[in-house]
Amino acid sequence: MPVFVRFWGVRGSIPTPGPRTRRYGGNTSCLEVRSQTTLCVFDAGTGLRELGLSLMRAPPPGGLKIHLFLSHPHWDHIQGFPFFAPAYHESTTLCVYGPEGDAKNYQLLSGQMNNAYFPVRFSDLKAKVVQKSFQDEAVEVGDFVIRRFNQKHPGGSVGFRVDHAHGSVVYATDSELDQQLKDPDQPVDDPESLRRLPADLVKAIRGADLLVADAQYTDDEYLQRVGWGHPRASTVVDLACDARVKKLALTHHDPMHSDRDVDVKVSLGVERAKHHQSEVEVFGAREGVVIKLDNPDIRGTG
Amino acid sequence: MAGKGHGTTGAFDELDDAPQTQILKRVPGFRPRASRAHMLKQIEGPGVNTLRLVLNKDVLTMGRAAANDIQLENDNVSRTHARLTRIDDEYTIEDLDSRNGILLNGLQVHAAVLRDGDEVHIGDFVFTYQEGA
Repeated sequence: MPVFVRFWGVRGSIPTPGPRTRRYGGNTSCLEVRSQTTLCVFDAGTGLRELGLSLMRAPPPGGLKIHLFLSHPHWDHIQGFPFFAPAYHESTTLCVYGPEGDAKNYQLLSGQMNNAYFPVRFSDLKAKVVQKSFQDEAVEVGDFVIRRFNQKHPGGSVGFRVDHAHGSVVYATDSELDQQLKDPDQPVDDPESLRRLPADLVKAIRGADLLVADAQYTDDEYLQRVGWGHPRASTVVDLACDARVKKLALTHHDPMHSDRDVDVKVSLGVERAKHHQSEVEVFGAREGVVIKLDNPDIRGTG
Repeated sequence: MAGKGHGTTGAFDELDDAPQTQILKRVPGFRPRASRAHMLKQIEGPGVNTLRLVLNKDVLTMGRAAANDIQLENDNVSRTHARLTRIDDEYTIEDLDSRNGILLNGLQVHAAVLRDGDEVHIGDFVFTYQEGA
C-alpha cells in the first residue's frame, strides 16, 4: 500500500493567518506521513491542531497510535501540541521520539504546558504519552525505517529520512545549508553554479522520492539573516539536484512572504533546477495538499 | 436631554451637560453577507468550455461514468475519477485511483483543499475553482 504525505503547517517562525497567506497557509510546521498501518507526524507546530481535529473525525476503534518526531523544540515546532485533540483522549498512544538519553524534546513539549503558560497541565492529558529513543541513528516504526541526521541551526536541529517499501521522504527543516557550503563564497562569486554540500548530508537525502526542506529566504533576504538558521531557497534546490531527489517541496515559508512571494520563490527554484539540467520537480509546500508515494521498486538508500 | 429622562443611570448622569450626538442617518445593524456557492468553471477541454459546476452537496464524484454527480465524457478521465468532499465549508478534491490522476496548478496530487483560483486538470478538462463566501 502507498505512503501518503500531507502538509498541515508550512510556515516558519510564527503563525501568519490572513488573506495574504490563505493559499499556502499560515500554520507552522507539521507534516503527516502515513502508511496503511502507521501514522508518523513530524513537528508539532500549529498545523498539528488541524491534524488532530481531522484524526478525531474518524478515530479507529482501538484508539490512535501516533509517532511524533520533533526536529527541535523551537516554538514554531511545538506550539500546536497543547491544542492536539487526540492527546486528550485516553484511547490515544502518543510516542515522542528523541535522541537516546536525551529527554529535552519531551521535557520542553511538556514544559510549555506549565500552568503559567496554559490552563491544562501536561499531567492532565488522558493519552498515554511515551518517550522513545533512537538507537544509534535509526528506528523502526511499523513499516517505516526512520533515520535522523544533524542539521545546522541555532541550538541544533534534526532532519529525518523515512523509508518505506513504496517510497522515501526526507523532512529537513530549520537547516542553514549555506553555513555548510564547501565554498561559502560561491553564492556571491558564482551564483549560478551548483553549490556543493557535505557528502554525508547529500547521502542522507540521496534518491528520496520527496524532500520537504526549509527554503525560507530568497538570495537577497539571506544576506541580511546570516546565522538565523535558515537557508537560501536556491541552495536547497542545489542540494535536491545534487542528491537526485524526485520531488522537492519548499517549506518553512517566511512569515513576511505572501502567497505571491512564495510563487516567485518556487518559480525561481524551478528555473534553477532546469539550469542544472535536473529533473527534480520543485513546488511550494501548501497546507491541505496530499502527495502519494507509490513506487514499489524503490527501497531507501539512506 | 438624554440621561435620567431616558432611563440611564450612574456614570451617564455626569454627561447631562455634554453636547449630544445628532443621529442624521440611521446606520443599519449587523447583517450577514449573502452566501455564494463554491464553483468549478471549465476553462479548457472537451465541449464549449462553458461548464459552470455549482458545488452544493457534501460529497460529489467526478468521472466518465453516467453515475457520477459530475460526468466528464473524455477518454482520459477514469470511470470514477475524483471525489469532492465538503468539510467545514471547504472542498477537498481526492483522486480515486484514477489512471491519469489530478493536477493541481500543474502538480500531481492525491488530494488537496481547494483555494480560489486553483487550476484543476482532470483528463483533458481544466477547471478553475471559484471559492464561495
